[in-house]
Amino acid sequence: MSDSGALSRRTCFQRIAFLLGGLALWRRVQPAQAEPAGVVETGPQTVRVMRPYDAETPVREFASYLTPNHRFFVRSHFGPPEAALIAEADWRLRVGGLIEHPLELTLKDLKQFERITITAVVQCSGNGRAFHRPKVPGVQWERGAVGNAQWTGVRLRDLLAKAGVRPAAKHVQLQGADRPVVTSVPLFTRSIPLEKAVHPDTILAYEMNGRPLPLLHGAPLRVITPGWMADSCIKWLTDITVQADEAKGYYMQTAYRVPVTAIQPNSGLPGTSMVPVEAMVLKSLIASPGNGDEVGRGPVTVQGVAWSGESAITTVELSFDEGRTWEQARLVGEDEPYAWRQWQFLWKPKAAGSASILCRATDSAGQVQPQTTAWNPSGFLWNGWDRVTVTVQA
Amino acid sequence: MMFSRMLISVIVLGVAGGAAMTGAQEEDVVAALAPRAETLILARCSVCHTPDLVAQQRLPKDRWEATVQKMRHWGAEITEEEAGLLVRFLSARYHPGAPDQLPPLDSELRKAEPLTQEPAAEGPLVGVAVRGAGIFEHNCQACHGTGATGGFGPKLAKNPILKHEDLFWETVLHGRGPMPAWGAALSHQDIADIHAWLLTK
Repeated sequence: MSDSGALSRRTCFQRIAFLLGGLALWRRVQPAQAEPAGVVETGPQTVRVMRPYDAETPVREFASYLTPNHRFFVRSHFGPPEAALIAEADWRLRVGGLIEHPLELTLKDLKQFERITITAVVQCSGNGRAFHRPKVPGVQWERGAVGNAQWTGVRLRDLLAKAGVRPAAKHVQLQGADRPVVTSVPLFTRSIPLEKAVHPDTILAYEMNGRPLPLLHGAPLRVITPGWMADSCIKWLTDITVQADEAKGYYMQTAYRVPVTAIQPNSGLPGTSMVPVEAMVLKSLIASPGNGDEVGRGPVTVQGVAWSGESAITTVELSFDEGRTWEQARLVGEDEPYAWRQWQFLWKPKAAGSASILCRATDSAGQVQPQTTAWNPSGFLWNGWDRVTVTVQA
Repeated sequence: MMFSRMLISVIVLGVAGGAAMTGAQEEDVVAALAPRAETLILARCSVCHTPDLVAQQRLPKDRWEATVQKMRHWGAEITEEEAGLLVRFLSARYHPGAPDQLPPLDSELRKAEPLTQEPAAEGPLVGVAVRGAGIFEHNCQACHGTGATGGFGPKLAKNPILKHEDLFWETVLHGRGPMPAWGAALSHQDIADIHAWLLTK
């Protein structure tokens, strides 16, 4: 008891010292060089790109089941639309294309449909891109372009049923109100297959964790495709078009695609058979302790999360010897489809000094999280074993 | 002096042909090309995204070429010659073996001499508001919004900084917080024109 009190006091002093040091450093570098070359830590997020704003969640936040809205990762190609385009008085959701009855709905109209809440992981397709070797272009996301939230809204299938989908329909195109600065840049237009669109769990969300959807997360309405990567989760949604073919344009036909079969690194750019990024892959993360933390010799609680697109997590294992042997963690907390599963492990470090903790998960489809992920030209779907290195105090 | 050094580096590169550069050669290329390349990145690439996106990449030359051409195709105002210069600079500085942490992209530009006197030696500049409108549109509007009404960066129309000319000039020339330094991208006349136009907003 007294030990832990001393430890927390020490931690507290360390934090204050760190803050003061950080403040001093901040003052020294202002205003000539406000930020170091790499990552900018501004409060609750790790900023990768200032504009359009792309930021990931510090992994320590994943000790909570739900990721708070203000810490949830942010990614878009052009940033939020002008306020006038999504003001509630003027905003409309249009449903058109291969349907019987075109719809134009206000947010109030939309809320007349049955209200559904689903807890789901939302993850950027490029999460972990920084770990691919050889390196690939794009925002160099590390571990935190992911989060788990409660999404409330209406089923896309209910809208489509009201509109009356025609037999030739195969895809549903999704368009948000966000626009590039320069009009020669292609719009971020995406589509999902009709089967995913009419899945009862695919929703159009207007609330996130019980609050109105924040602007950076797609206010007033965004698509949530549980179990699929976030390139389908269009923000600031304004137009739904039912059609026979996939959406045209760069962001559907060129970007957000992966090779059908594994290819040699740095090969296969043109001509390789590529398919859209859709379902999430099996993955786990260590939320605590954090990289570089100092831990005591007493039992240390190692905790984190694991998820798999459309399967359930069955086991999470940890290794303290670079993957030679694995020990099973305990699955805890909520167990909901599409959400992540929390896990814990009580670790008794054997020796002082540097120690690496590895983590991998297994799902109900029998898949085991791989040591590394197959290289692909855009660095999507990284799901290699997670690793945290700590120092065990003498 | 700077251009002769650049020319020498270009010749050295030509002689070396396709062979990999040594660390020292890379440094020479970076040093010779940096003022123009960094200015282009600030003036042209940051219309759509901040330069931090550029600086976090570590790519071989062919992927830098593909990236720069993609951006030209999408409307980046870069000539063929400027694209070639950018690819040489980017692949010498941000190659796969480069260290994770490099100094910020515009650190050299920000080191410019602090402004201690009137911007022009030949007496005060007179800004031309009509010219300023166009210069603002190409260089400032992406962050400060159409009509200088604000966006990612602050609203400049009726902004008190316009009345403190020394602070205005200091900020434009050397940057401030997330705003890059424009001293190498804009002439003093350009800045005076922008200032004159902003006063009309």
